[in-house]
Order: sequence, then structure tokens, then C-alpha cells
Amino acid sequence: MIDVLLTLASGPTPGPMAQATLFHYLIVSALMFGIGLIGFLTRRNLIIMFLCTELMFQAAGLSLIAFSRFHLNHTGETFVIFVLTIAAAEAALALALVVLLFRRQETLDAGVWSQLRG
Amino acid sequence: MESMLTLLWPEIALFITTCVVMILGQSKFKDTRDLCPGLAAIGLIVSGFLAWYFRGVTSDAVLPHLPYYGKLVICGVGLMLLMLVAGSADRELEADAAKGKPFEPIRSTRGEFYSFVLFSLTGLMLCTSANDLILLFLALELTSLPTYVMVSISTNRNRSMEAGVKYFFLGALGAAIFLYGFAMIYGGTGTTNFEDISRTVAAQAAGGGINPLVILGVVLSLVGLGFKIASVPMHFYTPDVYQGSSSSVAGFLAFVPKAAGFFAILSICGLVGWSHGVTEQSLPEGPRVLLWVVAALTMTLGNVLAIMQRSVKRILAYSSIAHSGYMLVGVIAGPGPSGADFERNGIAAVLFYLVSYGVMTIGAFAVLACLEKKRSDGSLDEVDDIDDLRGLARTRPVLGWTMVLSSMGLLGLPPLLGFLGKLPLFTAGIGAKEIILVLVLGINSAIAAYYYLRLAYTCFIESPETTPNAPKVVEAPFAARRWAGVISMLCVVGLAVFGSWLGNLAEIGATYRPPKYVQPAAAVVPVSAPTP
Amino acid sequence: MAMPLAIHSEPAFVASLAASDLSSYVPVMILITMAITFGIINVFGSLVIGPRRDGPTKSAAYESGMNAVGTARKRFNVRFYLIAMVFLVFDIEIIFLYPWAVTFPNLAQGTNESLIWLARILFFVFTTVIAYVYGVRKGVFKFD
Repeated sequence: MIDVLLTLASGPTPGPMAQATLFHYLIVSALMFGIGLIGFLTRRNLIIMFLCTELMFQAAGLSLIAFSRFHLNHTGETFVIFVLTIAAAEAALALALVVLLFRRQETLDAGVWSQLRG
Repeated sequence: MESMLTLLWPEIALFITTCVVMILGQSKFKDTRDLCPGLAAIGLIVSGFLAWYFRGVTSDAVLPHLPYYGKLVICGVGLMLLMLVAGSADRELEADAAKGKPFEPIRSTRGEFYSFVLFSLTGLMLCTSANDLILLFLALELTSLPTYVMVSISTNRNRSMEAGVKYFFLGALGAAIFLYGFAMIYGGTGTTNFEDISRTVAAQAAGGGINPLVILGVVLSLVGLGFKIASVPMHFYTPDVYQGSSSSVAGFLAFVPKAAGFFAILSICGLVGWSHGVTEQSLPEGPRVLLWVVAALTMTLGNVLAIMQRSVKRILAYSSIAHSGYMLVGVIAGPGPSGADFERNGIAAVLFYLVSYGVMTIGAFAVLACLEKKRSDGSLDEVDDIDDLRGLARTRPVLGWTMVLSSMGLLGLPPLLGFLGKLPLFTAGIGAKEIILVLVLGINSAIAAYYYLRLAYTCFIESPETTPNAPKVVEAPFAARRWAGVISMLCVVGLAVFGSWLGNLAEIGATYRPPKYVQPAAAVVPVSAPTP
Repeated sequence: MAMPLAIHSEPAFVASLAASDLSSYVPVMILITMAITFGIINVFGSLVIGPRRDGPTKSAAYESGMNAVGTARKRFNVRFYLIAMVFLVFDIEIIFLYPWAVTFPNLAQGTNESLIWLARILFFVFTTVIAYVYGVRKGVFKFD
């Protein structure tokens, strides 16, 4: 996998990508995605968990932009606009749900909500 | 461009209906508010008619007739789902309004509830006609986002809120994972159009192997979409969410996100094609191994865990997990050699089984949605424990028989619809030489017999004795839900006898058009894949 | 997603981006340093040479303002939340209008294709109108 990314990085990279190659963007994006995933699985605060999913969304957005620049077309950038919209919609929904939960039980700890087990 | 628009007419019709329903639901007049379900049904029928009328229009994806089949069955099953969820929202508020309290739009959720049902179905239709990764992503989100809210508002108990939040958070996680996968697919091919992607992948496969980024992207997408179909790494929310939401919404969740997930999985697998694997008719190794492991684990885990449950909704949830595993066998088998008949075509088997599973499970959930427990303090709660169904066939024959036939159908007993659906999965799996997987499938069907038979036994043979303090089981005042159950029962028997047209339709829907590899001399050489 | 223009591949544009090196950031660095130094000097200066007169009025939440009434953790009316949602709809809408507006003039006016583009964006605006009508019917904008 790594050597493939290295091949991509050493490919014909135009202009601004000359210093920071596609490889670097992908590494940052993968790190963001990993941090988001680990955070989602380990943290128990609902807001933090939601932020982690947002981080994962933005990681995908970052790699889309980098690929868009790499392939020299606008498709990835178009995709990112739609991703941002979906992220906004999810944020609205998440805040509504979290506010409702908080009103019923004055905590944001996910562990408190464990009525459904079996 | 124009053909894409004609392809989308059913969605547009449904979307406009949705908007009208959403706004009419806020009306002060009860008569206007009561129009909502009827209008929703009319919208579904109109869009089904449009799907049939434009049947000649194909999408330019690898499964060109998928939109036609998908939209027709979505309209059919959608009508049943609409009957199933009838009366879910605003029961207390409508009762207050009937007593003369002023109607407050800000507290009502009725218009929203029906329009969310329609929004979700619109998204499901878009999943079938998507010919672009962006459109597919948006369609999947349009299918899922309304269901999160539907779960939360389905009852006004704490457990619904909890289920809604769980469902939402895991849904967002799944969405992020398959979005990352889509980004990788785009990175490996340089385009998001399905036709261009599959052509680029074919070119890559012809010249030195598919770009690993594409394989990684497909694998990540499949893992993320596993949330929608409730397959193994992302399955653990299913029982909690089904139990926490009302029975009718749980029935909705059993069909709609699963169908969306399978349409998307078929499209994504179609991008890399069933022709670049070890043999001529298999997926590339990475996705194939992943799907193999996921399918085997999903059905085994679902069936084994279902045995230990006492809550009927949890049993049905684990059964839903197991059925996803069954259908993945069809995805692995793929379309088979060109010109293969129905028995060898795994995609047709998946499409057919999806509908039969939806019909059967709607029956089971409709029975649960029709029954309510009256507690000693007068409050009503939904029936969930398996003991509440004791002797149902004797006390309430229609509901009891619906439950018996649904569970027998889900088990796959020979004369019923479930058997007709499961048989092609077996034959397609054998045809694709996945003998071990088919064995696992067979063993699992045997394990599943235990809990389905227990459901049928409880309804059919056990006596309806009740201890004096036990809450009394009464029927919910929604005739439409019972009709949903009756229609499902009729389909389970009737489609098994007269169901060949549905099989033919599924076969048309599964038409597979493998991407043609154009010689590099032509102008379509991919700009993307950098050759090392 | 066929895009009619590929602006970024024009050589001049690429060259203008490539010309950016670290030295062009020097003024920004100087500005940042100045800002930080100014802040530190002010804080420490008032600590060292400023007079201190503490008292109960001095330590009140709003010195020489209104006294605080109740707690800040009050429940807000749900309408504020709904207004925020309606705002979000129009906020996000702009993201889509901009790329459309940039691309539309490049199409030949009056042709079939440009009409289709116009119809698409009108349909999109229609959906936001639906959101607005829904908000009005829901009573979001009624304050009483």
C-alpha cells in the first residue's frame, strides 16, 4: 500500500503540488480519519463523539480535494460541497437529538443511556 | 442528460408529494391533516406508474435496468410500509385536538412523519438510479437521515430517544467510512461517474492490475455500507434500535435502509465488476474475501444470538442481520456467465430475496404493531415479549395466522415465498463454486428454524392462559396496520404460487452490462492512473 | 459531472501559485509577533505598575452594570432553534448558488443546455422556498 502511495507521490505533480505532494495530503487525511475513528470508539461524551464523526467527514473531504487537484478536474471539489451540506444537515440533527436527550437526563455521558440491553 | 431527467421522474413526483404532505400536515383543520396518508399513497402510486411508463429508459451504470425494477418494488413495498406506519405519530396530540384543544403546529409531528417516510423512499429510489458516486452518497444520506428522526419520535418514551441517538451516531460513523471509501475510488480513477469508473478499472485490469486505491475504496465502502444492511462489523445497533422504536418504525427500518444498502453494494461491486477476479466471474480478491467473511459471520452471529432472545422485536432484529448475510451470498456469486438463467444469477437472487424479505418481515412487524399491552395504570405499551403472543392464532386468528405464515416464510419453508427466494441464493452460490459458503448458509437455515418455529409454536399451539396480574393485550385502533399484515400474508402465499412475474422482473433488473475495455489507442485512455 | 472549464490547468494560474515561497510570509510573521508582544506587555505592565483596589463591587460579574438575574442555564424557546435551522437552509443554499453562477455565463445563452441549467437551479431554489413555507406554517416566525 505504502509503495503505491509513494508511486503516486512521485508521479507528474503540477505546480503547487511540487512541494507538498499528494502523498502528504493523503497521510494527513488518513491521520484525521484514524483520530476520528479512535475518538469515536473510546470517548463517551456525545458531543465529542459527534465531533469525531465530523472529523472523519472532513478527512474524506480533504482527500477529495487533494485528489481533485491531482487529477486536475473539479469533480472532487464538487463532491466536497455536497459533503459539507450533508455534514451541516447531520450537525443540525445531532444537536437536536443531543438537546432532547440532555433535557430528559442531565448528562451527556453515553454510558447513562443503556436502557436497551439484552 | 435528458434521459437522466426522464429516469428521475418517479423521484420528482414523490418529492413533490412529500413537500405537499409536509406543509398540509401543519394545517389547523383536522380534515386537511387527515389527507396526509392518502396523499402519500397517491404519490407512491403515481411514481410507480411513472416508473412503469418510463421502463424503456435505462441508467448508464453497470446495472442499467436496476432503476426500473427497484422503483416498481419500492412503490409496492412502500405502500405496505405506509399502511404499517399509519397512525404512528401524534396519537396523544390528535386525541387532545379531538377534545377541543387548539391545534399547535409546533408540537405536531404528523406531517413530518409521513413526509419522512416519503423522503426516505425517495432516497431509496435515487439509490437505484444513481450513476455517480456523489448522487449515490446523497441518496444514501437522504434514505438514512429521516429514519434517525423517525426512530426518535416513534414513541414518547426514553428508550426511543436512546435508540434514535444510537442509530444516528452509528449511522454517521458508517456514512463517514463509506464516504472515505468513495474518496479513495475517486482517487484511484479520477472520476465519479460509474460508467467512467468501470471503464477505467477495466483498462487498469487489462494493463497491470487494478489501482490498489480503488480496491481499498471498495473495501471501505462495503464496510461502511454494512451499517445500512446491518452486517457484522456494524451490526450491534440493530436489536437495540428495533426494540427502542415502535414496531411499525422497526418494520420500516427492516426494509428501507437494507434495500438502500444492497442497491448501493451492488452498484459499488459493479464498479470493479464481477470479471476481474481469480476466475472470469468473480469479484477482485480483496472485496470478495471481505464479503465472504462478513457474510459467513453475519448469518451465523445473527442466528445464534436470535436463539437467546425473549423479545420478539430483538428476535426479528437478529433475523434481519442473518438475512443480510444470506443476501451477501448472492452478491458474491455475481451475475454469472453472460446469458445465465435465474438460478445462476446471484444479483437477480438478491433483488428477489430483498422484496420477499421485506414482504415477510412487514407481516411480522404488523402483528406486533396491531397489539398493545394495557398496564394497570391505564397506559398503553407495545407488545414485545414472546409470551404476549401466546395462543394468538386462537384469540385473534387473522393476526395469529399472519405471524405464523411470516415466520414460516422467513424460515424458508418450501411452499412459501421465503423458500422461493432462498433457493436461487443456494443455486447461484453453488454455480459460483462457493461451496463452503453455501454449506454455512444451509447450516444457518437449520439454526434459524429453532426460533422461527418457536414463534409459530407460541402463536399456534400454546394456550392463551394469563396470570391475573399480567397486563391485558388489546388491539391497537389502526385498521390499516392489520391490512398491511393481511396483504403480507396473502403475498407470502400468493407470490409463491404466482410469483414468476416477480422473478422475471428481478431478472430484468439484474441485467449486467460489463464495462467494455477500449484499446488505449482510443481517446478514452484514463488520465488518472499514473503508470509506475 | 462534466465541467466545461478547467481553469486551474491554465499555465499562468499554476505559475502564480507556485511562486509562493516562505519569504512572502515574513510580513505576516512580523505582524503576529507584534500582536503577541503587545498583548504580553499590556498584561504584565498592568500587573506590575497598575494600582489595585479590590472590593465586592469590583468583583461582581458585570461591574457597574445590571445585577445578574437567575442562572444562565435556562431553557430557550424551541423557536430559536428552529430559526437557526431555517437560517442553516439559506446559508447552505449559497454554497450551491456560487458555483452555478460562476459557470452559467460560460454557457451559450438561449440554448437548450442553458435553459436546462436555469431550470435546475430554479428547482433547487424552489426546494428552499418549500423549507421557508414549512417554517411559516410551523409558526417559527411568530413571536408572541
